[in-house]
Amino acid sequence: MGFFARKLHELREYSDIASIGEIARRYFAMNAFDGVLTIIGVLMGSYTARVQDPTVVIVTGFSTSMAMGISGLWGAYLTESAERKRDLNDLENHTLTDLSNTKIGRASRVAVVVVALVDGLAPFLAALVVLLPFFLGGLMGDIVLSYYASLGMALAVLFAVGAFLGKVSKENLIISGAKMIGAGLVSILLSYFLGAR
Amino acid sequence: MGKVRRVVLDVLKPLDPTIIELAQQLSGLSGVEAVNISIYEIDRRVENAKITIEGGDLSYESIDQVIQENGGTVHSIDEVAAGKIIIDDAVTPQD
Repeated sequence: MGFFARKLHELREYSDIASIGEIARRYFAMNAFDGVLTIIGVLMGSYTARVQDPTVVIVTGFSTSMAMGISGLWGAYLTESAERKRDLNDLENHTLTDLSNTKIGRASRVAVVVVALVDGLAPFLAALVVLLPFFLGGLMGDIVLSYYASLGMALAVLFAVGAFLGKVSKENLIISGAKMIGAGLVSILLSYFLGAR
Repeated sequence: MGKVRRVVLDVLKPLDPTIIELAQQLSGLSGVEAVNISIYEIDRRVENAKITIEGGDLSYESIDQVIQENGGTVHSIDEVAAGKIIIDDAVTPQD
């Protein structure tokens, strides 16, 4: 078995032991959703405040995405690490042995890192994808088009996250995606009316 | 020194990794020909397993290492058979 195949096998084994897949899926959907809705807030705020300079939107959006990424990474690392330690201690009380150097202890440590990465990267990447039209602003010409394209992108990402959840729960992907889009539309409309002068 | 051909162990182990994975790993050890694991008691987080291993030349150290690596502890060695062939315990009038 090659190095990567061995590592992949190990990761799969750790994932089974520490149920990494399930919790990572939950964090991914929840935080990608958070990331997109936050960026919708930034976009709508800039739009209603009539920000005409794409750089301002990019810098604000990028800083917000980065803050969300750091918040996710840091927060998930600390909370997940506390929960996993508690769980391992509980198991050690049952087995009456030190499990830190066993496969279970390693799986628990890997779980913390994987979950923290998913938790940090999901909102960061989702937000960056939504901002993509502003990065390509030169091609769009009019900034209003960038706003529309970004909001469209946001709804598309929300639909994708919803469809992903639909796949997880084995429900209708379109209905599940539409529910997510609903949240995006509510957020867009509320921001619009709040900012309308 | 004679070769160990069968060991029967009483092991306490966490529910995960499962006995399927444990059996696969134990059967992958050199000198092991067959493994049987049966559960006789299940708790909320741990289970008691009877592990029977047979082979041409068993190494108890490596068996114990695999069990420990998977979070288990050997509570007792309930049976050992060593030598050229495997024999079961003899029936005596006291039985």
